[in-house]
Amino acid sequence: MTASTTPASSGPRAVVGAPARRGSRVRRGVVTLSQYTGFAPAMVLFGLFFAAPMALIVAYSFWTQEGYKVVSDWTFANYQSVFNTPVYVNTFLVTLWMTAAATALTLAIAFPFSYWLARYVSRRWQRPLLFLVILPFWVSYLLRVTAWTIILGNNGALSRLLGVVGLSTPSWLLYDRPAVIFVLVYLYFPFAALTLFAALERFDWRQMHAAMDLGATHPRAVRTVMLPQIKPGITTAVIFVFIPILGEYLTPELVGGTRGVMIGNLVDNFFQEAQYAEGAAIAILIAAVVIILLLIFRRSLEVGETYGG
Amino acid sequence: MINDLITRRDALRVGALGIGALGLAACGSSSSSGAASNAPVASNSKSPVTLNMLTWNDHYYPSTQWPAIKKETGISVNVTLGSDDAAMFIKAQQSGQFDIVSADALWVPYYHQQGLTNAFDINDIPASKDLYSVSRDFSIWQGGGGYLAYPRAWSALRIYYNPKFVSPAPTSYEVLLDPKYHGKFVRENQPTDIMAEAGLATGAKAPYNMNSAELSRATEWLKAAKPAFLTLVSQNTGVVQALTNESAWFTSENLGTDIRVKEAGGPLIKAAVPKEGVVGWLDAEQQMKTSHANRFNQFINAWGQPEWVVPLFKEFKEAWFNEAAYKLLVNAGQKEFADALLYNQPEEALKAHLKGPAKNPNAYITAFNSVFGA
Repeated sequence: MTASTTPASSGPRAVVGAPARRGSRVRRGVVTLSQYTGFAPAMVLFGLFFAAPMALIVAYSFWTQEGYKVVSDWTFANYQSVFNTPVYVNTFLVTLWMTAAATALTLAIAFPFSYWLARYVSRRWQRPLLFLVILPFWVSYLLRVTAWTIILGNNGALSRLLGVVGLSTPSWLLYDRPAVIFVLVYLYFPFAALTLFAALERFDWRQMHAAMDLGATHPRAVRTVMLPQIKPGITTAVIFVFIPILGEYLTPELVGGTRGVMIGNLVDNFFQEAQYAEGAAIAILIAAVVIILLLIFRRSLEVGETYGG
Repeated sequence: MINDLITRRDALRVGALGIGALGLAACGSSSSSGAASNAPVASNSKSPVTLNMLTWNDHYYPSTQWPAIKKETGISVNVTLGSDDAAMFIKAQQSGQFDIVSADALWVPYYHQQGLTNAFDINDIPASKDLYSVSRDFSIWQGGGGYLAYPRAWSALRIYYNPKFVSPAPTSYEVLLDPKYHGKFVRENQPTDIMAEAGLATGAKAPYNMNSAELSRATEWLKAAKPAFLTLVSQNTGVVQALTNESAWFTSENLGTDIRVKEAGGPLIKAAVPKEGVVGWLDAEQQMKTSHANRFNQFINAWGQPEWVVPLFKEFKEAWFNEAAYKLLVNAGQKEFADALLYNQPEEALKAHLKGPAKNPNAYITAFNSVFGA
């Protein structure tokens, strides 16, 4: 019965409904196209300034380098060379952990600051303090990093301060990985602080009080009530800090010395000598890591996921 | 081979693939400027023209020199600053829009071999009479029935050291292997040149054209020398800063580093010539094959006057090939200063292993990265 009723019931619907659905599909298509017309300028800009350059870099990474010339013969040799050269893999891994360390430290410093600013500082004082956070942006990136080479260097302010209290200057203070991580934390602190503050400012602090009234300790209330709700803000802060640091080359060049090299410096060496094909291959691998991270973080950016909703 | 190069057309085609939906696939571009294959007839016209120049910042005085040249010749100059020879070569080749391009030593014949420059009769430029005669006769710059570039300045890299810490005076690149100097050597980040110096240290006869065995020896030597490297800096000023604050004790740098450190308030720095030889450069201005090539002589004649050379020499401390400017310096009581930079010994320029394109640049960078990567 079921077998006979199903065609009988679906038949007329199919006959009657089909033209109507085709018609609505056409109308919907027109509506959709007109809706997207407004996006045309953005799509053109996106295409010209992102998609096209990206496509060019991808193409370069698959083209052949002959001396100083890049020849449009397709090859995997650039990627093979990268993966077959241990120093690139090692430098990539070192870059990942330096980036992770700098990101973790930046958030570890920015979170308490933003927490204090959002919860304990009156609105009257929040603006001036936020202004101080973004004040370093008034000075060029290069100058800010160069200033640290003077502060951390021999006869620099920190070295002299340590001398006054009878301590010698540690060799890793400048031209080593700790110096790179330290300066990166300084550079990216405002990004994390502002993002976390924006998330904490919207948080309803009465929920914390309610949790503690019901017996939760302060750390537990933070962990189980506040953190899940500001997770998108934390994720955004991680993205804002981690991704640009991954491609950094200027800071390690200025304060890292030969022991603080990151993968961006090796790419820079290729580009400096016009070896664009292999340089592009490494750049694409960095971009691939970024895309993978964004995919991983994508779920954390959905507020509805906070309590599994 | 030229047909295989990545032209702007190729670049745009690939870009169009990325945004094909936007209808840019049909975009194209004219290929790089195809100028006359023969040197153009020089013009003395004062008609206004803008020349595009790809050069380094120590080649001109923008605030006063450009307005004066414009007033005298009608030529305006639109400068694009370059970094390294390789990157400048690619930029000049792919854009095809530069009328004058600066280049070092063996890069000059390389440009000409690639069909990018015109040879010209240097004697047609009146200012060339101010040049040291040796610089009008460099064999490496002769070809195409004329001279390939107008000589500007030169330098050779020496080991500059702080005698307070580095003793005895270095006589060889081997000083970098001495454990007592770990973390005390600073150097400009010039991968090919550093590999060339490592090549000299390991006996390579042509340090810019090492074969794979020589390159391998140079790489191993550089790995052994790496602990001496404190940092690789992007500019000469970084070297001066490190020597001045004594975080670094020695370097391999251009002539005049001792003077620059002294001017920065740093300690006494001395120079040593390593027994294995040194790398060096002599740079020049090239006439590119563009529609404005006929104004090259006129521009160079105005630009190369000794009155402009003197302040540039004082500021950048590079020995020019302009003998008339040297005489002006001597007359102004600056002979000692000029001689300290070997301004009066232009023949010294050819004693260095001259900068040029490597036959296998990718191998040089891979070797360099294998040493300085993490």
